[in-house]
Amino acid sequence: MSRRDEQALLERVTALLADPTHSGHPLFEPLEALVEKYRNQQQQLERLISISDRYQMLALEARQVTQKRYENSLRRQQKLSRISDGYQAMMRERNRALRQDSTHDPLTQLANRRLIDERLLQLETSGQPYTLVLMDIDRFKTINDRHGHDVGDRLLVAIADAMREVLRESDLCGRWGGEEFILLLAETRIDEARIIVERLRDRVSAVTITSCEEKLSVTLSAGISEHRIGERHLTTLQHADQALLEAKRSGRDRCLVASR
Amino acid sequence: MGTMITMTRDLDIPGSQSTPAIQSSWQAGRLTMQGDSYPENSYELFDQVVEWVRRFLDDEERPLHLSLGLVYLNTSSVKAMMDIFDLLEEAHGNGREVAVEWYYDPRNERIAELADEFREDCSYPFAITPATTPT
Repeated sequence: MSRRDEQALLERVTALLADPTHSGHPLFEPLEALVEKYRNQQQQLERLISISDRYQMLALEARQVTQKRYENSLRRQQKLSRISDGYQAMMRERNRALRQDSTHDPLTQLANRRLIDERLLQLETSGQPYTLVLMDIDRFKTINDRHGHDVGDRLLVAIADAMREVLRESDLCGRWGGEEFILLLAETRIDEARIIVERLRDRVSAVTITSCEEKLSVTLSAGISEHRIGERHLTTLQHADQALLEAKRSGRDRCLVASR
Repeated sequence: MGTMITMTRDLDIPGSQSTPAIQSSWQAGRLTMQGDSYPENSYELFDQVVEWVRRFLDDEERPLHLSLGLVYLNTSSVKAMMDIFDLLEEAHGNGREVAVEWYYDPRNERIAELADEFREDCSYPFAITPATTPT
């Protein structure tokens, strides 16, 4: 029965009860009591529905609050992670920069002795074949004396740049001393090393810098020594040094292979 | 008597390698923090800072200025700073004058980027300024 039909029936019964001609009927009293009970029950039902609706509304609101709180805390957590990751990335960059600074010559950005020593030890323990080259700029002291250390430094930087152009990824070039350089050529035999060094000497002798309208350029002397199996790297180094000394003695601007 | 209370209310924590230097001035309505922050117990350090900010905002009606020269922050320090900025945001929402100035070494632009991430949800004045102070 629809709500409207229910309402119509109620109105019909109420109208019948209101008719005084029915007041003596034996059904009058029980029917009147029944209508009263029906009205009370309907009121109860409406109250119940309204309370239930309010509870549902509260639960819904509470869920929305929880949801909002959860979203906020998630957003906050994400922000925290993002910023924290940023700081960690900054730290890694800083570490990389420190590592670079502690292993490279600040003037030329070539490897410094620390990195070269590390690499020499690595090569020695791995047993990887390599050729070692020591190089020295000819008459560099004269340039420093005549033009000053600023000019000398500029020349060193230009030479280092030129060397980097010629060398391969796997080659390590370091500043060994004032105007002395070292090359570690891994997996490289003496003949190939010789070609590389000659190419490098060519490239360096083409470098010019200007000081007081005077064009300055230099030559390189080099001593090459191939590492022998089982040999200490200090021995290889001594042989290269000896070859370099001979290159200097025999007129400079040349490359000599260590005689064994 | 009044000054005594003010004195005891202020923070003056010297910086160390892993903790920032922290000074507060109740009188001036100012809190400053400089340096790296990766303390062993960051709650111990930051609880008193958060508490100071909370108390100043509750007890006073004067403006509050934060002057920050923070460099590296670990995760719990990042969280503490977010808590402090949230307190400022809430106070600002209630019509309070608050402001943050974050100074960074211009050689380290990353700091400015990270400060900018912090600033994201803040509607009060939050300046990120390059400063040439010794590191």
